[in-house]
Amino acid sequence: MGSGFSVSDFERGERLASLAVGARGVVLRVLRDDAARAERLKALGVTPGARVRVLQRFPGFVFECDQTELAIEPSVARAILVETEEG
Amino acid sequence: MSCHVAADRAAAAPPPLLQLRARPLKIVLVGNPNVGKSVIFGRLTGRYATVSNYPGTTVGLTSGRALLGAEVCDVVDSPGVNSLEGVLTEDEHVTRQLLTNHEADLVVQVADARNLRRALSLTAQCAAFNLPMVLVLNMVDEARRHGVEVDARRLSAELDIPVVETVAVEGQGIPELKEALTEARPVTVPFEAARDAAGWAHAAASRFRRVRPASVGRLQEFLNRATREPLPGLPILALVLYAVYLFVGVFGAQTLVGLIEHDVFGRFINPAAVAVFERVVPFALVRDFFVGEYGLITMGLTYAIAIVLPVVATFFLIFGWLEDSGYIPRLAIFSDRIFRLMGLNGKAVLPMILGLGCDTMATMTTRILGTPKERLIAVLLLALGIPCSAQLATILGILGSISFAALLTLFTVVLVQMFFVGFLAARVLPGERSDFILELPPLRLPAWRNVLAKTWVRIRWYLWEAVPLFLIGTALLFVLDGTGLLRVVTAAGRPIVTGLLGLPPEAAQVFVMGFLRRDYGAAGLFQMAHAGQLSGTQAVVALTVMTLFVPCVANLLMIIREQGVKAGLGILVFVTTVAIATGAGLHYGFRLFGVGF
Repeated sequence: MGSGFSVSDFERGERLASLAVGARGVVLRVLRDDAARAERLKALGVTPGARVRVLQRFPGFVFECDQTELAIEPSVARAILVETEEG
Repeated sequence: MSCHVAADRAAAAPPPLLQLRARPLKIVLVGNPNVGKSVIFGRLTGRYATVSNYPGTTVGLTSGRALLGAEVCDVVDSPGVNSLEGVLTEDEHVTRQLLTNHEADLVVQVADARNLRRALSLTAQCAAFNLPMVLVLNMVDEARRHGVEVDARRLSAELDIPVVETVAVEGQGIPELKEALTEARPVTVPFEAARDAAGWAHAAASRFRRVRPASVGRLQEFLNRATREPLPGLPILALVLYAVYLFVGVFGAQTLVGLIEHDVFGRFINPAAVAVFERVVPFALVRDFFVGEYGLITMGLTYAIAIVLPVVATFFLIFGWLEDSGYIPRLAIFSDRIFRLMGLNGKAVLPMILGLGCDTMATMTTRILGTPKERLIAVLLLALGIPCSAQLATILGILGSISFAALLTLFTVVLVQMFFVGFLAARVLPGERSDFILELPPLRLPAWRNVLAKTWVRIRWYLWEAVPLFLIGTALLFVLDGTGLLRVVTAAGRPIVTGLLGLPPEAAQVFVMGFLRRDYGAAGLFQMAHAGQLSGTQAVVALTVMTLFVPCVANLLMIIREQGVKAGLGILVFVTTVAIATGAGLHYGFRLFGVGF
């Protein structure tokens, strides 16, 4: 790490991959350890503030981001940090 | 003329329509994928459209003419894009070129009204090109059903460009769009939008769009869900495949082929051609070249038009329909895990399915895959295992009449072989695979006009690219046969064909033909099987080798174009070796265990 983030900042929010089907949330940020992946997600609207909802986890991870349905593999779902909503 | 263009671009200049100019005004349609751009294009231009490749690329651009007011304009439909800055796909690069190379005078951005957030991100990026612009919010009816309302008037005031609401499939809003074109202006976005298009788009979308939780159309929601979840999804897939089989394998390959081959060619064209040549051409050699056993008309044209075209045409028609319905990306969800083991990701299912229509075209489509390694593996697997529609039809025709077990054996062997090769290639070849990230468009009923236009483009491609190869192949066979070389080649291949594979010697000739075109060779096997020259096990061995065998010449040339000569020849040698080894293994395996079909 060594960046200016404290551990609690870094871990704020949950990984999209850990959400159950039907769970809703708002994107906090996308991990940039793989820049190409982050760019592609950004072009598809997966950016901070976007509302997400998990639609399916098997055989592939499918979620709704704003008004777009996206299918991704689990490692991508782990790179998206979201703040979950109650209800 | 250049000062003319410059004048157009100044913000204070008169509207770009209704002024004299040296060439027609060029309007470029830009937008995210699946927003109904082609439908808007069709509404603006009417019936006549031409499709061409952007120079040096395989990206297709559709252009047409539109009469707007008193002026004739050129309209260009660019490929769908998600971004115009940063790392770009080939499609995105071409669209960017169109906007930067002084090729566009006016930009019409088409947006899915629901997806305003993504659309505005693109709008902010378009602002950098400083071209007069109109924003179209399409599919407002669907957006309303999803509880999405956009305040077009306030958005228009904010961006300082016309914003038009449309339902393009019904023609709603098209007259308003045509009028709005005269008021196109360079879009105004605040300074921060240039730096952070996504952030600005998010804020702007929440100001001008209202999203209420809505009761979506029950059927659409049900279908969207049913087609992506395994339980109804896989049975639905089986049903879709069966429907495709009925349309392509039965209606195309049997009904239409029978009609065209037997009735049209067999009764009219070929007898007429023979009669004409016998009356007009006094030289037997020339006559044979056109209407003999390996004649350009009696063999080449008959194969290309009567046997293969109906199959290819029916496949392209149903494939285009499935493509526009939004169904095909859903298959990627089911196949992602398997493809990941083969160094690819679920997206690879798209070229693989297209390969069932034509491997050559599918090889070209591997460009949609993310990395060089993925493209190489996909090209290899297409060459090795995916039978094109014409070939598939002959396999079904021959083995279907023998037994279902024979058919199952062939498909199992080919699929296992593909998986095995892909699995090894993923580990042996250098490089990375890309992440699986795919947009699933909502399921929609395709507009027939668009499906037909798309099918026609593909059929035309087949006629231009593949039919000449059929004719060249036939001419080559004619020369080989006439000079006695065919016998030499056949004799040289005999130890492999009769010894290693246990096939009748005539099969060697079929494999030579199969090199020119796989389906061409398959058609030869079809005739051998009908003449009773092949036993059940021999048919399975021969067809398996043919399926795994070297792709047709057209495919080989395309592989070389996409991957270079070295990789192309490498694939050729590798695939041939695998094909013969697998055939030999099957032959000895059948003999050892006394298998018969």
